[in-house]
Amino acid sequence: MGRIIEEIYVWKLPVRMYHWINALCITVLFVSGLYIASPFLNPPIGEAVWFKQMSIFRFLHFTAAFIFIANYLFRMYWALFGYDKYARFAGFRPWSPKWWGKPFREQMASYLFLRSDEPRYIGHNPVAAMSYFIFIFLGSLFMIFTGLAMYGENNPGGFTDTMFGWLIPLFGSSYNLHIVHHSAAWIFPFYVILHLYAVFRHDVVDRTSVTSSIITGYKHKVEDEPSLD
Amino acid sequence: MDKQPTYAEIFKSRGISRRDFLKFCGLTSVSLRLAPSLLPKIIHAMETNPRTPVIWLHGLECTCCTESFIRSSHPVMADIIFNMISLDYDDTLSAAAGHQLEEVRRKIMKEYKGQYILACEGNAPTKDDGVYCLVGGDSYLNVLKETAADAAVVIAWGACATFGCVQNAAPNPTGAVPVSELITDKPLVNVPGCPPIAEVMTGVITHYHTFGTLPELDRLKRPKAFYGTRIHDKCYRRAFYDAGMFVRDFDDESTRKGWCLYKMGCKGPTTYNACSKTEWNQGISFPIGSGHPCFGCAAPGYWDDGPFYTRLADVSFLGTDMNADRIGVIAVGAAAAGAAAHAAVTAVRKKKTDSENDQLEG
Repeated sequence: MGRIIEEIYVWKLPVRMYHWINALCITVLFVSGLYIASPFLNPPIGEAVWFKQMSIFRFLHFTAAFIFIANYLFRMYWALFGYDKYARFAGFRPWSPKWWGKPFREQMASYLFLRSDEPRYIGHNPVAAMSYFIFIFLGSLFMIFTGLAMYGENNPGGFTDTMFGWLIPLFGSSYNLHIVHHSAAWIFPFYVILHLYAVFRHDVVDRTSVTSSIITGYKHKVEDEPSLD
Repeated sequence: MDKQPTYAEIFKSRGISRRDFLKFCGLTSVSLRLAPSLLPKIIHAMETNPRTPVIWLHGLECTCCTESFIRSSHPVMADIIFNMISLDYDDTLSAAAGHQLEEVRRKIMKEYKGQYILACEGNAPTKDDGVYCLVGGDSYLNVLKETAADAAVVIAWGACATFGCVQNAAPNPTGAVPVSELITDKPLVNVPGCPPIAEVMTGVITHYHTFGTLPELDRLKRPKAFYGTRIHDKCYRRAFYDAGMFVRDFDDESTRKGWCLYKMGCKGPTTYNACSKTEWNQGISFPIGSGHPCFGCAAPGYWDDGPFYTRLADVSFLGTDMNADRIGVIAVGAAAAGAAAHAAVTAVRKKKTDSENDQLEG
């Protein structure tokens, strides 16, 4: 094995906190959401009045949703104003050929085995940043807006309904909105699998300790050639 | 034309006691969610305002709205239809027919210009100049526009007139569109449901008659008083929903116990209507009360919202009928398979490069 020649502090504590709160929220939201859409547990035995199976799942879903939203807003703040060059939007320029052109193509070519060497990035590589933007930034935004639109439905004309209820006619009906929200939820497990695979693969191929970096914050540079001593 | 008698005069001539008249006023004000202080205003309006002329048009529809309306429980049907509102034109209920009746419509439009209520049952097909619905030798599209031009307000009855119902379900061969899309320059109230509840229908008319305005409307132009809560919110089976006790099969023990019909495709959670509160046929029952899931007839586009007896609609996806969960599982499975394949290729290539390196070094 190559020796560690440099330690780089990549993910600051707020970013790591965000990541894990987000991961936890997504897990809770997805599982509770599946239950709410199609209750899969056996019914409790006894008087209905003593049990709260659906209520608990709904409570979990809504609570996790609001934590998820707060966490998302915090991450947006950090991306816009945080003094953190690896977590800022400033580095993400999909409109610029400088960002979009060669680096993105090179990274994509590497993923597609069209080139043998791996471009090295300390933060997110352009392909990762792009998928992060599509799945997590836009995906979460979509889930938050559609979710709040449905949440407002119990009080038409109330604050939540006034702010987000306009989405319902946009999707035809409340039922359609439920279906769209439900379908879109599947992008998260889809993304998680690709995300985990990419992380593990990079760790094996580049040996940058990317897996543990989201816990410790540090990535490592190792010697390319095995050292002889 | 003779002076239009007031509601109170009509009730009196029909032999309805003052007590019953006050009861009707009270019930209506409650169902309209009006403050008790407004009850005298209703009574006063009923006693003094001349009856409002109504032109009731039938387009592409099944007449279930009329069927519901004539079964209104308080005041008895005959009175409300033939006397309470001045229902001067209704091609289903009128004794006259043909040119005679069309003449009546034109007469009302002229004599009560800007004063009459236009009640539309059914929507209008717009494709091919509206030939798919002809009334009195003209297309319903033209009749509707012509009659609406001088109306004070427009009431869209039922799922057809409000959201389109089965006529504009995909693929909508006749190009049927809701009334609200054809008539945009008049105050309009949507009273959805297939049919709407009779008490809701009389309530809307009474409100207009009393205050001269439409009741408070929501985003979809529905009266808030009747469409302000979902069926689910006031469902008497809600306790079973919260507890997680669901009917899984119509042959099940749980059906007999009257558990929540959510898993049987009940659309109560997404449908705004007064069924679970007002109920039907003089408050006898409503679909869920009779053990059948709500299929959301008052919700927009309910015919296109998947099979009635499943909670999660089948999404048409690449020509297959699959629900969102199956598509999701397939997508996630594909991602996992792709990752595994990618990992295998990575491993093979890494081994190859490693052995090449070894050879170079060796």
